[in-house]
Amino acid sequence: MRQRQLTPSGAVAFGLILIIAAMASAGVAGLALLAALCAAFAFLEVGAASAIALKRSLALVIPLALFMLIVWVGIVGRSPAEIAAGTSGSRAAALFHVALVCARLFLIASVLQLIMARFALTPPLGFIAALRVPLVCKRLLVFTLSLVETFQHAIDRAHTALVACGLLTSRGSLRNLLHAWVLVQTVWLTAITIVVGRLRDKWPIENTLAQLDRALARGAQRTLSRHDLIWLPLALAAAVFAIGAR
Amino acid sequence: MRGRTLIVGPNFSGRSRALMNLLRATSDVPASFFVGPYAEAALSGLSSVVADEIRIYQSSDVSSSKADFSPLDFTSLSDRKPQTLSGGEQVLLALHCFSRSAYQSIAIDVALEQLDGANRALALDYLGGSSRQEFDVVLTDNRLDGPLPHWSCTEQTNESATFACDLPALANHLLPQHAGPLAIHDLHFGYRNGRTILRGADLTLEPGAAHRLLGPNGAGKTTLLKILVGVLTPSSGRISLDGVCYEPARTGNRAIALATQNPDHQWCGATLREDVTRRRSTLTRRIDMPPPADERIARLGRDLGFPSLDQPLYELPLAARKRLSWLWPFSGALPWIMLDEPTIGQDRDTRRELALVVRRLCALGYGIIFVTHDDDFAAQVPHRRIAIENMTISTS
Repeated sequence: MRQRQLTPSGAVAFGLILIIAAMASAGVAGLALLAALCAAFAFLEVGAASAIALKRSLALVIPLALFMLIVWVGIVGRSPAEIAAGTSGSRAAALFHVALVCARLFLIASVLQLIMARFALTPPLGFIAALRVPLVCKRLLVFTLSLVETFQHAIDRAHTALVACGLLTSRGSLRNLLHAWVLVQTVWLTAITIVVGRLRDKWPIENTLAQLDRALARGAQRTLSRHDLIWLPLALAAAVFAIGAR
Repeated sequence: MRGRTLIVGPNFSGRSRALMNLLRATSDVPASFFVGPYAEAALSGLSSVVADEIRIYQSSDVSSSKADFSPLDFTSLSDRKPQTLSGGEQVLLALHCFSRSAYQSIAIDVALEQLDGANRALALDYLGGSSRQEFDVVLTDNRLDGPLPHWSCTEQTNESATFACDLPALANHLLPQHAGPLAIHDLHFGYRNGRTILRGADLTLEPGAAHRLLGPNGAGKTTLLKILVGVLTPSSGRISLDGVCYEPARTGNRAIALATQNPDHQWCGATLREDVTRRRSTLTRRIDMPPPADERIARLGRDLGFPSLDQPLYELPLAARKRLSWLWPFSGALPWIMLDEPTIGQDRDTRRELALVVRRLCALGYGIIFVTHDDDFAAQVPHRRIAIENMTISTS
């Protein structure tokens, strides 16, 4: 019997289609349609967690929007199309250009955040294991996540060491600025030693990567769910419209 | 490798190497589960949360299943990052993963020394308390001098005088100090994930004495040390030093020398010289507290078994790095000394001599706080007990 809930593969495919469509769409109508589909996804699949996802997307886009406003509207005063055409242009056109770029970025960020919110309760490895992609791609995703975690851990360890010895302070200070380079050096050294520790002792003895492969192979979901089969055609139709509409 | 084997011997006698050789020499066992002394050698490093760590090792083959080892409620910890667990909790997680795996053998290199008494007893019982043989075990552990029932014992003899330390000589050259009382008042602290560690804790620590911080794995002992050195900021409450408000998170740590549980969590440089130079630079403007001189640091290094300060720290064996982590606390630079599980990886003689040094430091006026699950070591140091449990601190 076909599963009902959205699968990780379905969600990733849905997200990829929307992101590609958002990047390729040329007009406001296309973006509006994609935004509507995104809103429907948020409402039906994500629920209350959508508010947090949208807030995070706003937090990502607002600084860029401010910067673009200053550059394009405040300093340049013309849209890129007007510059290319060699016309005098207007700040209104520049504002429209900035709004379009930011809307596109907001849409992309929102899609990513909504998918993350939809699967917030699924452990990362479970999510990756369920994807319908070759094992090598899953491995690559796990290694990437592992590297990110390793660096976060290295930052935490290095920060602990330098604060404990009095070189840095936990709160902002001039001392932190002066010794920032020591922190960077210590983080790199720590990250390398963590990785070397794993590669030298733990992984060869256990053959840990074979364990990982087995864990990734166990979780693979072979078929698309009913929800996947609803959202994917909708996303494809919206993408065709968004890319085609001018 | 068959049955249960304990490898004993003094530091640097080749116990870890013997453990590895035993694993590699066995052709009929394709792979063994390994629990090293610290997180990078105890956990896979491939998981973002505890649930994923368990998933990686989970066996799908029912016939290979072993008795489950779950001293903690790992379901409630499932969304925690493995590296945010305490040292003891990480070891328990590793053992839990092994119990769920298809591995038929396990090697443990001094990792059990991080466990509190109750969890250590559970772990040893799981690994070989009964005669029923489910899997093979090879273990190094400094707190077991001889084999347990049903265990065989391999003794390593001292191969060389590498890193030979002279702690009694070091004790004779320690400098006097005048530490002021260290106190916390109505301290509250919780992590961002909502886990509360301290709720309204009050404590006064007098100098010239040793204070032993006790509590089960994950109770918050290391967290309290991190608050006192300014790594973590309490959500409310106050710390005072010598009766004056002390805010290490804002002004920087200027009173406490911390030797961390994992020595690699405290290095500020790639070599001991670089590490000490950077530490000394924090004291250069302190008239009341001059940084220790070069000769003094070199002498301490020699007493700890390191004739050269230019040896890269990360190339040293764990027991050697652990000893070197004591250098700055013993240099006399700062009046308060905190030792987090100082005896991990140390043989009986070194532990006895370390106790002598700690007693001497107390006599010289330092304030000492130490965290240890090693009751034998603690028994050799007259101390006041400070227990952290259920978010409160009690003294006895």
